[in-house]
Amino acid sequence: MYLLSFLTRRLFQGAVVLLIVTFAIFTLLRIVPGDPARLIVGGMAPDEVVVQKAEELGLNDPIPIQFVRYLGDLVRGDLGNSFFRPKSGATVGAAAFDDPTRDDRAEVLTLILETIPLTLQLAGLAVVFALIMSFPLGVAAGLNPGKWQDKLAFFTGSLFVSIPNFWLGIVLAQVFSVNLGILPSLGYKGFEYTILPAVVLAIGISPFIIRTLSVSIAQVMQEEFITVAPLRGLRRSRIVGAHAIRNASIPLLNLFGIQLGALLGVLLVVELIFDYPGLGRLTINAVLQRDFPIIQGVAVFISAIFVFINIAVDLAASYIDPRLEY
Amino acid sequence: MSKTASPIETTEAGIVTEALRTPAQRMLRQAWASSSFRLGFGIFLLLLFGALVFPEISSIDPTKMNIKGRFIPPLFLGDNWSWAHPLGTDHLGRDLLLRCLVGLRYSVLIGIGTVTLMFTVGCALGLVSGFKGKLTDTIIMRITDAQLSIPMIILAITILGISRPTAPAIILVLGLAGWPLYARVARSAALSEKSKEYIRGQRVLGASDLRIIILFVAPAVLPPIAFVAVLDVAAIMIFESILGFIGLGIQPPTPTFGNIIADGRKYLINYWWIATMPGVFLLFTLTSLNLMGSAMENARNKVLRGGA
Repeated sequence: MYLLSFLTRRLFQGAVVLLIVTFAIFTLLRIVPGDPARLIVGGMAPDEVVVQKAEELGLNDPIPIQFVRYLGDLVRGDLGNSFFRPKSGATVGAAAFDDPTRDDRAEVLTLILETIPLTLQLAGLAVVFALIMSFPLGVAAGLNPGKWQDKLAFFTGSLFVSIPNFWLGIVLAQVFSVNLGILPSLGYKGFEYTILPAVVLAIGISPFIIRTLSVSIAQVMQEEFITVAPLRGLRRSRIVGAHAIRNASIPLLNLFGIQLGALLGVLLVVELIFDYPGLGRLTINAVLQRDFPIIQGVAVFISAIFVFINIAVDLAASYIDPRLEY
Repeated sequence: MSKTASPIETTEAGIVTEALRTPAQRMLRQAWASSSFRLGFGIFLLLLFGALVFPEISSIDPTKMNIKGRFIPPLFLGDNWSWAHPLGTDHLGRDLLLRCLVGLRYSVLIGIGTVTLMFTVGCALGLVSGFKGKLTDTIIMRITDAQLSIPMIILAITILGISRPTAPAIILVLGLAGWPLYARVARSAALSEKSKEYIRGQRVLGASDLRIIILFVAPAVLPPIAFVAVLDVAAIMIFESILGFIGLGIQPPTPTFGNIIADGRKYLINYWWIATMPGVFLLFTLTSLNLMGSAMENARNKVLRGGA
């Protein structure tokens, strides 16, 4: 019952935030310079064609009316059609205005749904790698504040956070694919194509995990329930494993919710470097081509994911620590 | 707490005691005591000095092409090197050391400029929100929440892709995209500060809200936030190089880390140093900033917990 009221309340709040966010994204992309009608028909089209296209798309209506129309499409699951991408999948760029394939543009929702599994696979593997790398370091540092483990974690974290990830991607691709020939690095033809990008992404994530873990474990270890635990006859491994880490994982979860935006930035560029056909590459290419429906669709879609993940994070936190209120 | 501007008081014997320093001063001393802070500070000063001075006194122009002097390797490599180009030259015969140093200038400029803007906007809104409370607080915090759920990175690169990306445009766009986290931190700090005795005293004396915020709350609350902002300067510098790499940063022929790496990537197999050098420069700069920032973060945590 508790859970149900929490979910209804948060989902309702989330819906309101999403509405505001959608309006903000919509308005922002409408007021930036660049005439969508002109973009669609191409630079060579006569002015009448541009005017006609603008009328057809309803671009002459006031922004609130356009927004309501967009919302109407949105709730029916229609995020619009790409300006440039045909349904066949290939990018054609700006073709002539009388090109017959013009009307046959890929749906934004389809494009997103096609790319999202690969991106989730990449992000998931990266999180696994990052946890494997940072858990031992972070926990050891938190248990030995001021000792060499702490310093090691500090310097590893400082170094990892200082590596420009796109540059690391280029270097790793050169070393592992070109020089050593161990791992593929361009495109996607199988699971092994995910490994190198995931490593780069993991190195981008791990400093935050190391830092949060070491600080919060060091804090938890000072708490009374930990210092009296040996008196209860608990072994050290159990104190650390069951009590310290469990309590320290809540800041980690919250961090995850907050750092999503930063993660997204790394994801975009990593996918671009490795030509990984996920959501990030789709987005960057759309930005470079000024394919507004895709940019808008992706932005709204990702906002929805952000809102949803933050609800899930709170839910998970209260599951780990029942004292937390919903 | 409120006496940031006044000279440090001393005991009868004339010795400055730790207890009489402001928390901000104690944090700086604590940070300075750590070797990682001093190491980072030293590297950063050295790099900054190089970036500011060397391009001015050098006889070559970082954008001057020299087709005969293409792909000269760095000093430590091979026989074909020359003292004129210690880090070698790129595919157009331009000196890499100079290009990296000029790139560093823009990188630091955009990093510091953006964080200053984020800090100013975010902290101003956060302080007002936390101090005023009620409706003001609700409105500002809902805007903050909403903006935190927008993938601002996508919108930022979209705007930069459409407008001509100059240094002020990049600072403006990134700064306006990044303020909400500062608003949250400043708000919670202001919340805990406003219930303190001396603030309530000011209220009784009839000081206006604005006066209390500017003269008392801000000086007490902002320095710790500003110290840790060094970490964000590093993060923004990475982002600036990403922008340059995908062609949405400051436009060539002005060298930036991002566009040098993008150029060098095409010649990676035979002339690997072109893309590697700016990366190493960036790595050193970011490491120095992160060492300083993390040391200050540690110092802040210690002082706030009452350890020092």
